[in-house]
Amino acid sequence: METSKAVIQANNIDIAKTEVKKSKMKLSIIITHIIIIAVGIIMLYPLLWMVSSSFKDNVDIFKGTSFFPKEIILDNYIKGWNGISGYTFATFFKNSFFICIVAIIGNVISCSMAAYAFSRLDFAFKKVLFAIMLITLMLPFHVTVIPQYIMFNKLEWINTFLPLTLPKFLATEGFFIFLMVQFMRTIPLELEEAAKMDGCGPIRIYWKLILPLSLPALITTMIFTFIWTWNDFFSQLLYLSDIKLHTVAVGLRMFVDSMGESSWGSLFAMSTVSLIPLFAVFIFFQKYLIEGITAGGVKG
Amino acid sequence: MKKLRALLFSLISVFLLVGVVGCSSGDSSKEASGDGKDEKVEIRFTWWGDTKRHELYNSIVDRFEEKYPNIKVKREFGGWPEYWEKLTTQIAGGNAPDVVSMHQFYVADYARRNALLELSDYVKENTINQGDFPESVVNSGKVDDKLYMIAQGVTMSGLVYNKKLFDDLGVEYPKQGWTYDDFTAKVKELKAKGIWGVQDFSGGQLQPNFRYFARSNGEDLFTEDGKLGFEKETLVKWWTMWDELRKAEAIPDAATGTEYESAPLEQNLFVTGKTAIHQIPANQLYLYQQQFKDGELEMVSMPTLDGGKQGEYIEGAYLSITEKSKHPKEAAQFINFFVNEEKALELFKVEQGSPGSTKMADFVKPLLEPAQTKAVEFIQSAVNNASTAPYSPAGVTELEAAFKDSASAISFGKMSVKEAADQFMKQAEGILK
Amino acid sequence: MQTFKKAWRRNAVAYMFLSPWLIGLLCLSLIPMLSSLYLSFTNYDMFSPPEWAGMENYTQMFEDSKYLASVKVTTTYVLLSVPLQLMFALGVALMLNRGLRGLKFYRAVYYVPSLFGGSVAVALLWRQLFGGEGLINRGLALFGIEGTNWISSPDTALYTLVILAVWQFGAPMVIFLAGLKQVPMELYEAARIDGASKFKQFFKITLPMISPIVLFNLIMQIIHAFQAFTPAYIVSGGEGGPLDSTLFYTLYLYQKAFTHFDMGYAAAMAWILLIAIAIITAIIFGTSKKWVFYQE
Repeated sequence: METSKAVIQANNIDIAKTEVKKSKMKLSIIITHIIIIAVGIIMLYPLLWMVSSSFKDNVDIFKGTSFFPKEIILDNYIKGWNGISGYTFATFFKNSFFICIVAIIGNVISCSMAAYAFSRLDFAFKKVLFAIMLITLMLPFHVTVIPQYIMFNKLEWINTFLPLTLPKFLATEGFFIFLMVQFMRTIPLELEEAAKMDGCGPIRIYWKLILPLSLPALITTMIFTFIWTWNDFFSQLLYLSDIKLHTVAVGLRMFVDSMGESSWGSLFAMSTVSLIPLFAVFIFFQKYLIEGITAGGVKG
Repeated sequence: MKKLRALLFSLISVFLLVGVVGCSSGDSSKEASGDGKDEKVEIRFTWWGDTKRHELYNSIVDRFEEKYPNIKVKREFGGWPEYWEKLTTQIAGGNAPDVVSMHQFYVADYARRNALLELSDYVKENTINQGDFPESVVNSGKVDDKLYMIAQGVTMSGLVYNKKLFDDLGVEYPKQGWTYDDFTAKVKELKAKGIWGVQDFSGGQLQPNFRYFARSNGEDLFTEDGKLGFEKETLVKWWTMWDELRKAEAIPDAATGTEYESAPLEQNLFVTGKTAIHQIPANQLYLYQQQFKDGELEMVSMPTLDGGKQGEYIEGAYLSITEKSKHPKEAAQFINFFVNEEKALELFKVEQGSPGSTKMADFVKPLLEPAQTKAVEFIQSAVNNASTAPYSPAGVTELEAAFKDSASAISFGKMSVKEAADQFMKQAEGILK
Repeated sequence: MQTFKKAWRRNAVAYMFLSPWLIGLLCLSLIPMLSSLYLSFTNYDMFSPPEWAGMENYTQMFEDSKYLASVKVTTTYVLLSVPLQLMFALGVALMLNRGLRGLKFYRAVYYVPSLFGGSVAVALLWRQLFGGEGLINRGLALFGIEGTNWISSPDTALYTLVILAVWQFGAPMVIFLAGLKQVPMELYEAARIDGASKFKQFFKITLPMISPIVLFNLIMQIIHAFQAFTPAYIVSGGEGGPLDSTLFYTLYLYQKAFTHFDMGYAAAMAWILLIAIAIITAIIFGTSKKWVFYQE
């Protein structure tokens, strides 16, 4: 609670400042709001356009001149949701959720463990291994896809969720390791020293001290794992052939055929629906992201 | 800390919940499929397309499984660009599907690298019946005289225009059997009426546009042994023709042309009413017609050179069997069902072109919408003029890219026609060595 | 003896924490990486077995004008998009970190573009904004300016993709925000009591405190920008036109592999890219000792 006390104190000091300064502050806050809103509209334009298009019929989407639909059509949503050959988007959503949640759990556990070792422990070949970890991020996906496919095929993992989930438990995403390393290195050393004095070993320090204090990084990892896994279309298409296993990202691409006609209406409708969980997850987790620091600051 | 634990806990419980649901549904399906006592064979079939086609092909496969209860067909599908990347990866990874949709753009690359099975044995023993296929259609599935593909649907290139637009502008319709001179005159006439005549096709598609031009000149893109099949002069003539149209502003400027080149059908220059004539494969006529709520679309053949030959050659969508298929016989049965059985064709209709078998083409005719009927009639009359076209050598995709680059260098004013032609001929030599 | 035992124990604990990653590295990441390295010395069309070609793929690159074009495109893209995107992301993160009312809402709004990823909808939208008859040109027309066709002129196409990268700045922004949240409030209080200006606070407290995060974002965005692939689908349908002006390195690599069936060449390209990124990363790490502050 020390921090919030400090904030209150600071506010009191602010209140004590002169009136002139106060009105100046107000003006700057209003200006900030105006800038934020103006830029926000630019940011949101595509979303609004997509949502509006999802209520138009296929011809009206591109030929209509008005931004708003002439009449609101729900057809796109009904047709879109029905998916393909008896498999609706309910199946696709279920599969996407499953893969995303497993991936989140895997990434949080395995990447935080590796990051703890890299940032807080001392061991042989540390620098070399860290460099190797970064190097694994530098090779474009297209040249590793075939050897990887051959490997997963030999393991008989094709057409299961394993290629998309199991590697996450083995910390194959160096991005998150590196992210957590950078965060863990900002945690004051004194805290760790204090814990060591209390007789805590590395495992307890990891679990009781480092993890809670890295909450913003863990939350960030969760958000990104969710969003990126959700949108990761090509590996899902490659490894999941059976329609029963299809995901939302794969389902969405089915509406588009660059060689012929595409169901744009359904695409926009289902894209809109598929943004809802992404948006919800973002809102939900960012709450923790903000509260993270207070939670971490309570006990050193 | 409590919050973190609560968060992790809730995540894990959701995970278990989804897991249980997922697993239980997985188990039940396994039971349903693994029970058969007969020797069950499983083959895999893959195609590209959109949701409508996926729906359609799934139903056709269902009907096949009804007829052959001992064969189970696993289906895999996706959109055009990723279809090829996935297929390549699967073949390279030793896990190729048995029956694959094939296209002329790629067949040479696959067949010449031994990824596809030679099918003539299955035709000889009549597992695949090509009795009702015109010879030109059968031949269009051959590479180096070996049969690798069976035509699902054949199509022909042509030019499409909106009759109503021409009526409104007071311009006469293009005439069947017109020449490239007629064509450029028509484009300029349309320009005088305030509309671009046609999209800039100087480089976008080596095939079919330039190919028709070369063929009309008695040449072709390639020779039988995989060398470049046309002279530099032909290319200079082609690009000069477009350059003149561009300078007369009868076709869109380079930037506008490029912008719309990769646009989806619904947004291209023709559909949005910016150009009056457009080149399409005839099987797409009804897709275009759907975009024009008023006005009937009509097709006209590709132009020929004055006194030149007809350029027609067969295009289409095909089925192939992969080299490593463990059940080629069943795969062949499947292809035969797809191209010869009424039960399949009454669903297929003209999804990827007019059926290869003339018997089946006649069978589906009464089932068609007017725009589809028109397309089939166009295809059937054009097929009569069609002559064989040598298959592209490996490396054709690279050649197409080079062709497009040189053409854009002209349109963006970076090179003269002659310079661009010189550059292309030099590159082509390197690519097709 | 005692110290040896201690060292052994220390290493054992560390390697225990590293074990999932090590297993993943040995079993999943290393095999595909090393096979691609091997393939880069072969001619491999993916259907027939690879044939040894020595350095051929590597020497061929320097005579390949398209390859050189792709290097130029990618370098320009990295040099422009990375600093712009990071500055924008940091600016917005600072603004959103001010404890304004409605903050959560704003933050979510700003993240929306990044949720789209490389979806087809973005391609359509970009044409609507930057096309010949797009929103931008209609806006310019109000002021009597005739704009060019931004997305399909060879001179401007790449810059629209730089703008796209800046527009999708959500990921670094969230990471900056998380970093800003980690800065202890007490430091600001102390500075405020000392009468330090906002400007000074930013350079003396905020920036040093989040410098590890800046380093992270910088390196990751450089890697990301070098590997940029999907943006090119937005203007050219994946062809890299007009006139190779958006032919990104990985796009050309992809074309070589999957449309020209030359996986050996693609693998060689990939390893050259890896070496280039690795050198740049090493240089940044080298300088980081001067400007990144850790709690050590």
